[in-house]
Amino acid sequence: MKHISSVFLGAMGSHFWSEIPFAHAEKKSDLEYRTLGKTGLKVSSVSMGVMNCSDPAVLLRAFDLGINFYDTADCYMRGHNEEMVGKAFEGKRQKVFIQTKVHAHDEKKMRASVERSLQRLRTDYIDVLVWHNLSSPSEVSDPKLSEFMSKMKREGKARFTGFSAHSHMASLLREATKSNLHDVVLVSYNFTHSKDLKEAVTMAARSELGIVAMKTQAGGYKKEKMGGLTPHQAALRYVLMDRNVSCAVPGVTTIEQIEECAAVMGTSFSKQDIHPLKQYHSFLQGRICTLCGGCVGECPHGVPYSDLLRVVMYHEGYENDSLVRESLQRITVQDIQRCFACPSCSVICKRGLDMKAQVQMAKQILSSIQV
Amino acid sequence: MFMNRREIIAVSVFLLMVTCSSVSSAATPLESLILQRDLPKGWTLAEAPQIYKKKTLFQHIDGQAELFFKYGFQQSVFATYQGERSREDQIEVDIYDMGKVIQAFGVFSRFRNEDRPGGFGLDSYLDDHSVFFYKGKYFIMLYAAESNADSLGQFSKLISSKISDSSPPPKEIGHFPKNGLKPGSIQYFPEGLLGHKFLGRGFQGTYMGNAGGKEFKVFMAIFKDSGEAMKAREFYKDDLSRKGKVSSEAIHQSETSVLKGEDPYQGKIILFQKGFYLLGALGFEKEEDADNRLAELIKNVK
Repeated sequence: MKHISSVFLGAMGSHFWSEIPFAHAEKKSDLEYRTLGKTGLKVSSVSMGVMNCSDPAVLLRAFDLGINFYDTADCYMRGHNEEMVGKAFEGKRQKVFIQTKVHAHDEKKMRASVERSLQRLRTDYIDVLVWHNLSSPSEVSDPKLSEFMSKMKREGKARFTGFSAHSHMASLLREATKSNLHDVVLVSYNFTHSKDLKEAVTMAARSELGIVAMKTQAGGYKKEKMGGLTPHQAALRYVLMDRNVSCAVPGVTTIEQIEECAAVMGTSFSKQDIHPLKQYHSFLQGRICTLCGGCVGECPHGVPYSDLLRVVMYHEGYENDSLVRESLQRITVQDIQRCFACPSCSVICKRGLDMKAQVQMAKQILSSIQV
Repeated sequence: MFMNRREIIAVSVFLLMVTCSSVSSAATPLESLILQRDLPKGWTLAEAPQIYKKKTLFQHIDGQAELFFKYGFQQSVFATYQGERSREDQIEVDIYDMGKVIQAFGVFSRFRNEDRPGGFGLDSYLDDHSVFFYKGKYFIMLYAAESNADSLGQFSKLISSKISDSSPPPKEIGHFPKNGLKPGSIQYFPEGLLGHKFLGRGFQGTYMGNAGGKEFKVFMAIFKDSGEAMKAREFYKDDLSRKGKVSSEAIHQSETSVLKGEDPYQGKIILFQKGFYLLGALGFEKEEDADNRLAELIKNVK
């Protein structure tokens, strides 16, 4: 429960809107480059996550737009993604910075992985080599992993090293700050994240860790699933407003997306950005019940709404039908029949959840799960 | 009175009958596709299979989960088998339910590197360390830590035989002309075909130019209706005008219109609209090569 609610509610407490230092929405055409921590690399503040991109034309367009930092990985499409990056930037290698990844294994496998990456990227060095998805502080300060990265640096295969983190980011950043073994951290960071993470990012940046922000769009470019909202530029501006972030690597797949993202460089987060982000946040928030208890006793027919919503949350949020079955033990047949037979629902969620939609989802879940 | 098990079943059955649920009812449980008994000789299941859903796939394959989501990922099951040769001798199996055969093909087409068919499912790729294949709505990946094409082949055949989905491959694959087609190069994109948002979903294949001419792409963008196709064509024309070149535009026969120009990143382009399709060739050296392939594609698309 904590896990899901923290994702969607973490940053959106009162601190989020109240602490934004408004700047005038002054659009400049200037490119913006920032220093990537102790590496000293001057990277475009809007960089590119290549992961799902499949067409070299998008990379070439990004290059023409002044974007110089590209994030890929050994495992994306079993190496095809690195191949595409290598092919697209052949002849331009000195003008771009490439970040790729390696998974923690024994040294033989890790070495083989790095060699394959170099081959696919058509280069003899990787600018930033990061551990893929570390999840515990002990991994961040693991001497064996650190020793391997030191070897890669000594051998000239990697110029700088670091790690990526998709969860427990704040504690991993703090550990990285303490251990001083890394140059760069690729971290999931967007407007939905917590104040705690923001503070950890600040602390890490102060100790000269280069912060590369990923998942900056908090849901990606799925306009059709986002009720027509287009909060992408605002979301990116929000992340880049934090000067502790060296660059953001939004994952893009089309030329139009990279153009939209690149246009953010040289602009500031403004009052005009608040509205689309607020709407986007409501959209995200309105999809999952956080079990705040605000609807308890609201139904005039006495239906225990929170238990029905719990069914939806366990099925949709946790994808755990055992918990769904447990929840059903607390609901009576009469309650379900009364609820589903009711033509109009007067219960209002204080957090903006669409209650009618939730009831529909509960119906579908109850009819589909194997009890 | 609280619901007991029987009542819950009754309510569930009732709802199943009266609601218009979109969930398919007679699907094969994914776990059943994992080999548990009758394994290839010398292999045992190392751990209980693990199921991954949209919320948890990320824990298994990190950020790459997003690629699967784009292709309609429903759920997946993962298992590891231990060989008897050594501790390192392991085979990992991932079976992904992609919802539809076109999506299973799509994700398969993004993973296969070249044409090395293994003879499994509707199409497959096999090398010493890995197998990818798709059958029906399932996309299957096997990875051997140590070089072991034989065992990979045996596992693949057994898994394939357990999949009862007999859906044919996407019909669009058959529309692409065979002549000059680089084997195994047809790919399906659910969005952003050729790196353009306005082209949406579609297929592309790579062709060899005649007499050593360079490779080029032939593509088929698919729209809801001809109006949408026309709108996308106009977008493309504007894009070419701004960033590249539009050299000619003409109405061709009664049903098709043709646009010729140059894309700044992908080279020369010919684009036809036929009904709700945009059909084109891109990056060719000799116009004749592109014309020939396109003529056949236009004929094949009904």
